[in-house]
This record gives sequence, C-alpha cells and structure tokens, in this order.
Amino acid sequence: MLLTTQARMTSRAAVPALRSPGSRRLWLGLLFVSPWIIGFCGFYLYPFFATLYYSFTSFTGIGNPTFTGLANFDALVHDATFRTALFNTFYYTVIEVPFSTIAALGLAMLLNMNVRGQAFYRTLFYIPSIVPVVASSLIFVWIFQPSFGIVNALLADVHINGPAWFFSITWSKPTFILLGLWGMGQPMVIYLAALQGVPKEMYEVASLEGAGPWQRLRYVTIPMISPIILFNVILSLVLSIQYFTQAQVIESPPGSPGNSTMFYVTYYYQQAFQYLHLGYASAMAFLLFILVLIVTVVLLKTSSRWVYYENEER
Amino acid sequence: MTRQLRRIGASASKHLVLILLGCVFGLPLIWMVGTSFKTDGQALQLPVVWWPHPFLWSNYPQLFAALPIWRFFLNTFVYAAITIVGVLISSSLVAYGFSRLKWPGRDALFYVMLTTMILPFICTLIPLFVMYKRFGWIGSYLPLEVPTFFGSSVFSTFLLRQFFMTIPQSLSEAARIDGANEFFIYSRIILPLAKPALATVILFQFIYCWNDYLGPLIYISNQNSYPLSLGLDLILGDYTTNWAWVMAGATAATAPIVVLFFVTQRTFIQGIALTGTKG
Repeated sequence: MLLTTQARMTSRAAVPALRSPGSRRLWLGLLFVSPWIIGFCGFYLYPFFATLYYSFTSFTGIGNPTFTGLANFDALVHDATFRTALFNTFYYTVIEVPFSTIAALGLAMLLNMNVRGQAFYRTLFYIPSIVPVVASSLIFVWIFQPSFGIVNALLADVHINGPAWFFSITWSKPTFILLGLWGMGQPMVIYLAALQGVPKEMYEVASLEGAGPWQRLRYVTIPMISPIILFNVILSLVLSIQYFTQAQVIESPPGSPGNSTMFYVTYYYQQAFQYLHLGYASAMAFLLFILVLIVTVVLLKTSSRWVYYENEER
Repeated sequence: MTRQLRRIGASASKHLVLILLGCVFGLPLIWMVGTSFKTDGQALQLPVVWWPHPFLWSNYPQLFAALPIWRFFLNTFVYAAITIVGVLISSSLVAYGFSRLKWPGRDALFYVMLTTMILPFICTLIPLFVMYKRFGWIGSYLPLEVPTFFGSSVFSTFLLRQFFMTIPQSLSEAARIDGANEFFIYSRIILPLAKPALATVILFQFIYCWNDYLGPLIYISNQNSYPLSLGLDLILGDYTTNWAWVMAGATAATAPIVVLFFVTQRTFIQGIALTGTKG
C-alpha cells in the first residue's frame, strides 16, 4: 500500500519497482560509505580482535602464536618496568592536560578581550604548534642543553645552577611537559573561535542583572563553550596517554635517564619491535584500550553535570 | 580622569602579559634560526651570543651535502601527495554518505567511526604489521598510503561532513527532481561547493605527513626512503655535538610549514574552527 503511493509520487523510484525506496536509500548510503566500511573492517576491526587474541599467546612474529592463557597479564602485573611506564604516562597526563587546557583557555580569553593586535598574537602563539614534532624536539634539546643551552645560561645570569633537564631523573618529565605546553596554540585557537561564537547579548543581559566579570565567566562563558572544552579535553587525554614521539627522539636510549621517561608506548615499542615479545606487547595494548575506554566513559558520564548543550530540551 | 587611567592601566597590563608570553613562545624559534647561522664554536659560546656574528650561511650547504636532505624532502612530498589523493577521494565519498543521504543506521555508524578516533594506535599495530609483512609492504610507504584510500583519515571525513551539512538540502532535491543521480550530485554540485573545505583537508593532510614520525619509524628502514622527520632524527644521532647543523636541519624542516601557514592562514583558521567548534 505504502509502496504504491510512494511509487506513484516519485517516478524514478518506480523504475526498479521491486525494491522499496527505503532499502534503495540504505544501499545508496552504504555504497557511499563503503570505502570506510572496508577500511574499518580491515584496518580496525580485524587487527583489534587479533590484538586481543595475541594478548593470550606467546608470539614472536614467526610461526604461529601459542596460546598461553593469562600468562602475559600475570607477567605484566609483576613487571616493575611496566609499573614505572604506567606511572610516567600518568604523571605526564595528569599534569599536562589540565595545565594546557587552563593555559589555552586563559590565553584565548585574554585575546578575546578586544586586544589590539589580536591576529598578531594569535599567530605568534599558534606557530609553535605547527612546528614539526621532530624539529620542536630538537629545538628543546638544544635550548635545555645542560651546559650550553640558553635556558641554563639565562639561569646562570641570575645565579641559579640549572638542572640537566631532559637528562635528569627528576626534571626529565617536567621538561617534556614544558615542550607540550609550547604547542598549546592549537587548542587556544579552537577556544578563541568558540568564545567568539558566544552571543554578545548574553553578556549584556548578565551585566544588566549585575553579574561581575567572575560571574560572567562562571555562568555565561564556561557553560556556553563547555561542549568544546569536553571535546578538547578528551582528545588531549587520549593523545597524552599515547605519548611517545618526543621521548623517542630526545632520549637515547629511549626511556633514559633511569627509566624516568619510559612512557607506556615507549615500553610497548621496546617490547614489540626490539624484543619481539608480540604477545606481551599485545596484552599491554589491550590494557591501554581498557584504560582509555574507562577514562572516556567516566568523562562523558560526568560531563552531563558541567557540559551544557544549547539545543538540549530539559 | 581616573577611569581613563584605569582603562589604560588594564590595557597595558594585558599587553604586558601577552608580550612576555609572546617572548617565551617566540624565543625557541628565534634561538633555532640564530644558532643555524652561527659557527660551531659560537653556538657553544658563553655568555650567550644573541645574534650570529659573523652571519654564516655555510651550515646549510654543508648539511645538505653531508646527508641526502633533498631526498628526504622528495620522499615526504611523494608520501603527502599520494595520501592527499586517497583522503580526497575516500573521505569526501564517505562524508557525503554520512551527511547528504538519509538512511537507517547512518548516525549509529557515524558514531562508530568517531569512536575509532580514540582507539589507541597500538591496539591495532601488531596484527597490521604482521599483515603488511605478509603482503611484502614493509620497507615501503604502502602501509601508510593504502589505508587513506579507505577512509582512514576520520578527521578529514568528519571535517567534510560538517561542511556538507551546511549546504542546503534543497540544492540536492532540485537536482534529484531534474533526474540527476546521486553520484552526479556529489561530483558536480556538492564537491565544487566544498572547495574551501577540500582545501583545508589537503592542507591538514600535508602537515600530517610532514610531521609524521611514528608511521615511517615503524615501516621504513632504508635511509634512502626516509622522510624528513626520520632524516632530522638522523642529524641528531650523527652530529650530536654540532648544534649549528642540528638547528639548520630543524629550520629547514620548519620554514616550509611556517611559510605555508602564512600563505594559507585563512584556510587554516577556518578549518580549525570547523572541526573544533561544531561538535
């Protein structure tokens, strides 16, 4: 019944006649997204489940994996280097993410206050974030070079004996955090665009009702841009949990000094590609997946308390 | 009078903060460029020599002669060009399917695609490596290029979808009434209208390849095939104490991207705003 009326309405759909317009639409949609569906199955779904399988095996890449049950996970629990790697990544993440979020937001707000030369400053703060990551790593090794670097030279001018930075067990991680903060121009530009999207009238109304600058920030600005903050925090959390490249470029051997820069992925890389402990490394990968999943779900679940969606019905 | 003074004071303190921070942010880059024009001795001289004297150009030709830097540039360009083609074709098709067509399950599948963005890369790496090894792809750029033809750049797909959504549906409907098929609408109506978004995708993909260190580190082993990122790493390993050379390499890798940024600034900022703010 429905078919005949619709077929009368659109003569084109009536030509194949056998298929309903609904299933025709479905096939057309699937046809357009088929490159991704193929890619998703081949480059995500299959390797993901294969990783899960390998994590229960002993595997060197040659021959077949042999099933070992929970042996890899059991070994991980007792592996001191693994615990160090977990701690180092945790350390980096819990300091870098909040700091760069607050700094990027603060800077964006400052630039949003009708500052003359806004475009100039925006460019200046953004450029470090597009410097190729290997280049920025080299720059930081050089400026933080213990004996000839400019940072320690400037510190010496004010009679401070600078540490060895990347090559000091205590200072290596904080120095990586500084390198991360140098690249906060990316979120800053996003926040600035978001701030410029907040309607001016809202501030006017708030001011009329006697809201001071702090209250306007708390009750207008933050709620209005909270979805973007959430999106950026999730993204930067996921990225910093996988922190690897800078540490790999800068530290030689990777992880030094004294395992202080042995990040989670650094250790994974060593296990997988140096020692060919593919089963063990797969178990690490799977645990990281669980970790990222928990962090993301917790953030999304708690976000309903502080994230405000404009077109949401209450 | 006092109000005016306070306004000037507030404005001055804003600029003071910005200028101070600006110096902190700019200093590493200035120091990089400065060092690259110094003699090796001057680079290590204390107290600090702020500006190279004499101004030495020869670090660049010497570095380019010592290592096949031009080759690294070329490899990077080829890698970028091929993946740009892949991303343009596959991401625009997929984005079209996720935005201009209505079909059951579309949004659910779209969210599945978005969640792959948070999947850590190491969760798929080992089986992929084993698979590529079986294909005989290790040592070539194929493991990094082929997936881009299958919508692996979720970021680009997302960006294009966001843009396609802003094009009025009435355009497609009018074309459908005139009897145009869906592929015609995609290629002759939507894509021409999406040129700014496609430009952003090209730009971001180029920068991604220019920056990519991890992918080549895993799959490329022959020095002749190195992209710039691995080549730079090589400079640090081989000429660790020659900081003028190391900084010349860093400058050579950074300068094209910064120039590109200034030339395409508007595309850049629009692209960031498009993906970052319209979740």
